[in-house]
Amino acid sequence: MRTSILLRNALLLAFAASPFLVRAQFQAPTQEELTMTTDPKAPGADAVYLYCEENDNDPLHYQSIYARIKVLTEKGKELATVELPYLSGNFKISDISGRTIHPDGSIYPLTGKPEDLLSEKTGTLQIKRKVFTLPNVEVGSILEYRYDIRYDDNHFSSPMWQIQKPYFVHKAHYSFLPFEAFKAGNAATASNLYLTDERGRAVNTLIWWKRLPGGADIKTDVSGRYSVDVTDVPAIPDEDWMPPIESYLYKVFFYYKAAGNATEFWLNEAKYWQKDVDHFAEPSKAIHDAVNGLIAPSDSDLVKAQKLYAAVQALDNTDFSRTRSESEMKQLKIKAAKRAEDTWSQKSGSSDDIALLYLAMLRAAGLTAYAMKVVDRSERDFDPSYMDFDQLTETLVVLSIGGKETVLDPGEKMCPFDTVSWKHANVRGVRESAQGLSIGLTPAQNYPDNTTERAATLALDEHGGISGNCSIVMVGQAALDWRQMALENDMAEVKKQFDRGLESMVPEGVEAHVDHFLGMDQPDVNLIAMVNIKGTLGTSMAKRLLLPGFFFETRSQVPFVNQEKRLEAVDMHYPERVTDVVTYDLPAGMTVEGAPEDNKIVWAGHAVYVIKSQSSPGKLMIADSEARGFDTATPDLYQDLRGFYQKVATANQEQLVLMQTTNAASN
Amino acid sequence: MFMRIPRFRRTGLFSCIGACLAVWAGNSAWAKNQPAPDWAQEAAKAATPADPGDAAAVLLYDEYVITVDDQNHAVERERWATRILKPQGREWGHCAVDYDIDEKLDYFHAWTITANGQQFQAKDTDFEDKGAYDAPELQMTDRIRALNPPAGDPGAVVACETQKRLAPYMDEEDWQIQYPIPVVDEALELDLPPGGHFAQSWSHYPPVKEVEGGANQMRWEIKGMSALDLENLHATPPLEALAARMSVFWGDAAVNGVDNQWRAIGVWQDQLEAHRTDPTPEITARAQALVAGAPDLYTKLSRITDYIQKNVRYFIVEKGIGGWQAHYAGDIFRNGYGDCKDKTTLLIAMLQSIGVRAYYLHVDSERGVIDPDEPSLTGNHMITAIELPEGESDARLMARVKAADGKTLLIFDPTDEETPVGLIRGELQGAYGNLADGADSQVIQMPVLPPDSGGLSRTGSFVLAADGTLSGDVTDVFSGVDAAGERGLLKENTQKDVREGIEVGMSSDLPGATFKGLEFEQTEKLDQPIRLEMQLSAASYAHSAGPLLLLRPRVMGSDARAVPDVMESKARHFPIEIGHPGCWRDSFDITLPAGYAVDGTPDPVNVDVGFARYHSTVTAKGNTLHYEREYVVKDVEIPPSKAADFRMLEGSILEDEKGAVVLKKD
Repeated sequence: MRTSILLRNALLLAFAASPFLVRAQFQAPTQEELTMTTDPKAPGADAVYLYCEENDNDPLHYQSIYARIKVLTEKGKELATVELPYLSGNFKISDISGRTIHPDGSIYPLTGKPEDLLSEKTGTLQIKRKVFTLPNVEVGSILEYRYDIRYDDNHFSSPMWQIQKPYFVHKAHYSFLPFEAFKAGNAATASNLYLTDERGRAVNTLIWWKRLPGGADIKTDVSGRYSVDVTDVPAIPDEDWMPPIESYLYKVFFYYKAAGNATEFWLNEAKYWQKDVDHFAEPSKAIHDAVNGLIAPSDSDLVKAQKLYAAVQALDNTDFSRTRSESEMKQLKIKAAKRAEDTWSQKSGSSDDIALLYLAMLRAAGLTAYAMKVVDRSERDFDPSYMDFDQLTETLVVLSIGGKETVLDPGEKMCPFDTVSWKHANVRGVRESAQGLSIGLTPAQNYPDNTTERAATLALDEHGGISGNCSIVMVGQAALDWRQMALENDMAEVKKQFDRGLESMVPEGVEAHVDHFLGMDQPDVNLIAMVNIKGTLGTSMAKRLLLPGFFFETRSQVPFVNQEKRLEAVDMHYPERVTDVVTYDLPAGMTVEGAPEDNKIVWAGHAVYVIKSQSSPGKLMIADSEARGFDTATPDLYQDLRGFYQKVATANQEQLVLMQTTNAASN
Repeated sequence: MFMRIPRFRRTGLFSCIGACLAVWAGNSAWAKNQPAPDWAQEAAKAATPADPGDAAAVLLYDEYVITVDDQNHAVERERWATRILKPQGREWGHCAVDYDIDEKLDYFHAWTITANGQQFQAKDTDFEDKGAYDAPELQMTDRIRALNPPAGDPGAVVACETQKRLAPYMDEEDWQIQYPIPVVDEALELDLPPGGHFAQSWSHYPPVKEVEGGANQMRWEIKGMSALDLENLHATPPLEALAARMSVFWGDAAVNGVDNQWRAIGVWQDQLEAHRTDPTPEITARAQALVAGAPDLYTKLSRITDYIQKNVRYFIVEKGIGGWQAHYAGDIFRNGYGDCKDKTTLLIAMLQSIGVRAYYLHVDSERGVIDPDEPSLTGNHMITAIELPEGESDARLMARVKAADGKTLLIFDPTDEETPVGLIRGELQGAYGNLADGADSQVIQMPVLPPDSGGLSRTGSFVLAADGTLSGDVTDVFSGVDAAGERGLLKENTQKDVREGIEVGMSSDLPGATFKGLEFEQTEKLDQPIRLEMQLSAASYAHSAGPLLLLRPRVMGSDARAVPDVMESKARHFPIEIGHPGCWRDSFDITLPAGYAVDGTPDPVNVDVGFARYHSTVTAKGNTLHYEREYVVKDVEIPPSKAADFRMLEGSILEDEKGAVVLKKD
């Protein structure tokens, strides 16, 4: 039970008590279950759920949970320890029972008393957890337990069925019996209730959101009970570079709303949101005064927008510094910002406050601008069929000049004008426009938006020693990341962190340390790291010097090379281009015997990798560049993606061979 | 201060609800703003040290006052003030205190004095209680109350004051006096009842003479303690093993003399566990059944330890005194789970059933934390010392040590489910522990095992094609401590993760390699090696460079250890952890493609620096290239004076690992 709605007047609620509690009973194991040592449906699994059951009963204010698990490996024994978090006060976990069944059929009941431990307590909110562990667990054991969650009369349950679990599920049954008024077809009864949501609207509809395996669906029966039966549910995938996986798992959520369908819901919610936005971002006299002090009448619209952007970006963004506590605000005699002018006068605000302040300022300057509320792509994917406005957590501003719209990210500290963080690119959300409210999409980024160019000049000696320097020029996301790190750390710490990155970037035996940065405080210019390099790069042989063909990233593992199959999409966050140019001053008497050959590896429409080398007397230049034009790739593209990276990895293994000429050797 | 969770807690039964209510009541009395007390305002005037280095904050003042009553119950008051120097130093302003069910937190007050002198007092909403949590299998009733300080920005001083009543049996303070940030002024004051006595000892710091402030009032003061910043150093012992600290006991627990104090601690532990190790009939029956027909002591020990390793699952909810005191052996046996103390308890009971004596050995999971010169209860783990009969010389029982009273003790960790009896893992080797053996209790040093206690033997047979593809078979044989490590890996990860881990691990050496086979054998018997058989193929392993084909004969694996600060010749002041003793060997044969001849091979490498040696050769015979190397480690850590030797050794290994054979077309 993750959410609940406070019942304003529970006495008026139609109450239909079920005559008995529906609880799963312990089951006698089959011989097949007792003797199984592996599961062909889940090869390599440490454990599998043989059966799960959850019965939620609002009339009787309880949920009953049951699980039956087969342990297949040592690691699977971890499932014998069960933690049940709950909100203290209104909820109680009771009737915990369990047992362990060995492969020989012997049974060991849970006799120890579950512990009741504190997880977290802030103010009046207290989260606790019940903890118990089943006895005598061994590989091959069947673990079986059940418990109830009980809650008081003032709560409705909003079951959230996590259908997909960390381990394979053979069979599961979920059921939910809501209050009489919310049973299927009883909306008329519900509409008469004095049950309201946070906006005071009568809550009259029980809604569910589902993502279920093929063939499974929510069923209702004559008693008004909702249920789902599933079989053979795969374990939650665990792969590198996954999109936020929570958005893609099998689940069912029940919740209560005033609206009956998604279109109506989003329209209503968007109206409320817009009302809040307009209230907060009203261009009051104080905002007009501030704007007049920041821009000149002669400024173009674009320049006005840029000046105002710089002004709000300069404020203390508490999402990147420190949020003032309630007591601190009270002692400072300041209140939480309710209007844009509050944020301006306090010179401080959250990312949302600052974004809306910017909107207010643009409007005060006479520019056309709209608010947009979007999802954070690092956290979740937006699903309009799930009627929860809280999916949308980030506020952006859409500036319209001469009919051209630009999406801006003023709440993202250090984000340059005209760009957005990758977390806010190519995402959907609710937006205002001249045509009214709608679901909108932010522009996708392109690889030139996010570039890193590393240019090194290195003097090489005849023993393989090198010294020199390198500039690393960052544009876009990499620059934004480092600038945001510099907000939360002093420069010495940023240099340390950068050096740690350099450690894995340069070959073994080479040390690289950042000397200084250029443009760290100026988000609108390139961020440049100046790096000093020295060490031993080459391996000296009798008449040759062997060096890695490429200087940068030879220690890094190219992604996907060893992963044959892919279940989920690949999410690389943002398109990017990384270019390296390394120029060697060769030692006297040495010539190039072999160097990486010019090459071009192309994954059409998605990525390209180019190698070029060029030598002249005493000098050698090796350059390579990878441009990746996509941020996500669906599983059906995976083999193409992998093929590309395999070729890149192979090309990166090339070596550089320098030969001692006879003439020089005799010197 | 700073979330001082005792490394091994002693608590008793006390009303949690009462304690919590007292906390809130205590704070509510402070609902109105109170100015920072004089001590805090004085502390805030202290200057930041002239050269704080990279410190993100500085501890301006830290004072403990422990008042012991005539019932030997102690109340501890702490006052501390921290100046935040940098944005990342804010975390140092988050004062915290821990308290368990048999302790009582009387109050926790805090103030912030900003750089411009403005004062803020923390309110109830600025505090948060959290249950201490280690892992699902190690839960505890201990709570941490932490402050989110108002106005905690760079330049501000956060001053905190707490008072808590220590557990009734608590009679030691382990005073940490050195942190990763500098300390300007710190003190420990001990106020004893009339006739009370104490005993002190110091670790990593010369003893400081106490100042007697009055009858039975002792005070130790230290000024200008430097920071111990290990953040950018690699392969160092843990901070707890290097930081200055002092231990003081009071009451009956205070005994003069280091050896006597260790003995007293051991006696206390023995008394605490009295009768816990008594075997029940079921335990005796099981133990005797296990050793029936065993030909020798090793086999007997192996069968019993193996039983506990495989049948007693690690799980515990530590409650108060339960942080120290084990459950009864009979309960542990029946439930099939317990923590380190419980596993040792059951082992002692089972061994007792077959006539073998064994003892509790209190250690820390990290080497160096227990200092033989500073008797204390510091330490977070319990293992077993098994008494070997006189003359027992089985070479498989390697982890043996001679106690001061002449007993030969075999050290064994029953919580370590992978390391067989006879061995101990690297972290314990060379570390100290306190043996609980009644009047013979003592601190002992655990042995550093010989090189044949661990390692890996890797053999490979490969064929190189003219297009650079390398294919072949590899056999890894992990032995001893390294086999235990592999068992742990196999146990803690899914088969899929193990395979992917190996593939990813190899991918830097063999990018794009495909593994046709990858199979572990002999994973069940703890004292047997583990074999890993691999069949692999790596396209473009050898690379053309102009007319040449370059081939790295060290096909896979690395013996190099990344210790960047040492390799960069930075001054080293602390020991270098070098792993554990063992012997790692590679032997690869590579059949060359027809038409190619060897035009150059890397020079052989021979390095012997005492604590380790490395040898490597590449030879060509006909169309076969043979690469062979051996890396032998004989110790667990080396002093900083050997940093140059270490650098030379590692440089040689790195150079060798990068070496390539040059092939030329005939």
